[in-house]
Amino acid sequence: MQLRDYILRRLMVLPFLIIGVSIVVFTLTRVGGSPIGIYLSHEMTPDEVLEIEQRFGLDKPVWVQYLQWAKGVLSGDFGWSGISAAPVADVFPLKLAATMELAAASGLVALFLGIFLGTFAGARRNRAPDHITRIVAVSGASLPQFWFGILLLIVFWANLGIAPIGRSDATVFASINHPTGLYTLDAILAGSLRAFWDAIWHLMLPAITLGYGATAIIARMMRSALVEELQQDYIDAARAKGLAEKLVLKKHARRNALVPTITVIGLTFGFLLQGTITVEIIYRWPGLGRWMAASVVRGDQGTLMTYVLFTSVLFLIVNLIVDVVYANLDRRVTLGK
Amino acid sequence: MWFMQTWIEELLLENKMNERAFDNSHYNGDTAFRVRIRRFGALVGRLCANPTTVIGLIIIGLMMAMAIFAPWITEANVPDPYQMPRDWGAVRKPPGTPGFLLGTTNEGGDVFYGVVWGSRTSLQLSLYVVGSTMIIGTIIGSLAGLLGGWVDEFLMRLVDVFLSIPELIFALAIAAVLGPSFTNIIIALSMVIWVKYARIMRAQVLQVKQNEYVEAAKVIGDTKLNIYLKDILPNAVTPVTVQATLDMGNVVLIGATLSFIGLSEAGIAEWGVLVSEGQAGIASGRWWASTFPGMMIFLWALAFNLVGDGLRDALDPRTEGR
Repeated sequence: MQLRDYILRRLMVLPFLIIGVSIVVFTLTRVGGSPIGIYLSHEMTPDEVLEIEQRFGLDKPVWVQYLQWAKGVLSGDFGWSGISAAPVADVFPLKLAATMELAAASGLVALFLGIFLGTFAGARRNRAPDHITRIVAVSGASLPQFWFGILLLIVFWANLGIAPIGRSDATVFASINHPTGLYTLDAILAGSLRAFWDAIWHLMLPAITLGYGATAIIARMMRSALVEELQQDYIDAARAKGLAEKLVLKKHARRNALVPTITVIGLTFGFLLQGTITVEIIYRWPGLGRWMAASVVRGDQGTLMTYVLFTSVLFLIVNLIVDVVYANLDRRVTLGK
Repeated sequence: MWFMQTWIEELLLENKMNERAFDNSHYNGDTAFRVRIRRFGALVGRLCANPTTVIGLIIIGLMMAMAIFAPWITEANVPDPYQMPRDWGAVRKPPGTPGFLLGTTNEGGDVFYGVVWGSRTSLQLSLYVVGSTMIIGTIIGSLAGLLGGWVDEFLMRLVDVFLSIPELIFALAIAAVLGPSFTNIIIALSMVIWVKYARIMRAQVLQVKQNEYVEAAKVIGDTKLNIYLKDILPNAVTPVTVQATLDMGNVVLIGATLSFIGLSEAGIAEWGVLVSEGQAGIASGRWWASTFPGMMIFLWALAFNLVGDGLRDALDPRTEGR
């Protein structure tokens, strides 16, 4: 199968998957019964209840209701967020910026640190650095992030008093404008070193908490890919040519080992997305995850379902991009049947 | 001439078994059962040769012992042992206080009690979730692999949709819709996890189906169900067992996360709930109420991850040292 055909086929399947996810999400909102409950009160007469049912189309068959909902979603109407007392579509972008800043910071750190650790360990197979990396990798997969975050808070916030909580210092926040909602970027745009430092300072502990597990995933994959590459014949050829070991490692082995490592980026992305929920709760980070956790506890379905739909679509697109990039880089991959 | 063919197939089958057995000298009168027993012994041997796997097994052993002997370690709370006992006369005690080995929470809950009985809660969660999803996933994956056609197409598209939603977020949404309770966390996790097993099982069945011994069994005239149960299933379950071992730790991690977010009943003896409860005290220096239960979650997940990895290496020697 040609690469172009593969990409086209994946792109054609994508809308169907998104429709499938939206059906699952819609079904979930109806498992708990009709959403009319939010509008009812004790003083209402049966006629008034009927009128509300008709106004929101709740008397129609379920599939008609689904189509109505889908139409709303497509035109940007995601419903009402009870906990924010505002339309979901209005609040969402603000929260999204906070979450994306956190996830991107953790992801970038994890990517560089993971590739570095993996290379370092793979090149020193079965020696001390390798064992330490293995411990990092295995513990990263088992570490409850919410607990790790609390441990860091106990040490750096409660005892040493050097780490802050939240996303920004109140006076610093008021001192600059926030056009993008990404505080580090806003600080650079405003040219304020103090605001930039404050943003980084607030970002540090949450990013470490979130990034540890992601680093573990990438380091582990990178290591095994590098070990595999170092056993190939072309490495022997490079060494026989008299290339310095450093060059063999960096220009030959590492470059090729990066290709299979790309496959775990989709996995890492899902991991970061899920991790933001608990990390944001612990560090009082005003992002999507904390918003969603609050809506879960208070039964706010509009917020919850928008979040599930949004993260799933994002997850699907990232995985699609990763697969296409991988197929493009590694010509040995057989595409479909 | 059908009997000639059967005879030849049987001979081939025996030959295959002979090749596969680890020790050829005991071949005379060997049954498939005995070969399996011997392979199992070899597997245990390879598992125990790996020190990290042994560490994992020891931790699991201790955790299981704690779960089983919980009523003898700390006296069960009446009437419901899975509820934290509340001693309002002894709130916020540090670890080492007589009677409260690991201290107490803001509400006078004994942290040690929570740690011990939490192992029971976690064991229940993991057994229910992994047990049910393994069975459902195996059945659905097998059906898809065996029947093929539109059944396969339909089931696999369903699996694709389920895999499109990140695991924790999906479970969170289901649990939220069902309402906050520990039972609902179990249900939510089961609804999310089964797809992994269905996918693994389908791939395995498709592969095993093509083996000569399955053809041989068909030629002999065995019933479809018999072929599935005796020839296909036993040869297809290996990756499922590895996944199940990893999931025993994984589901406790996700379950504790859901509890931490607030989807369990308040006051239940569950590690995630305890970490969440202890969070309130860290500003005033009461570190113990979160630290100990969280450590249990970590150790539990770590142990099953170590054993799962070890199992994968032992079953597939090619990955050794990777």
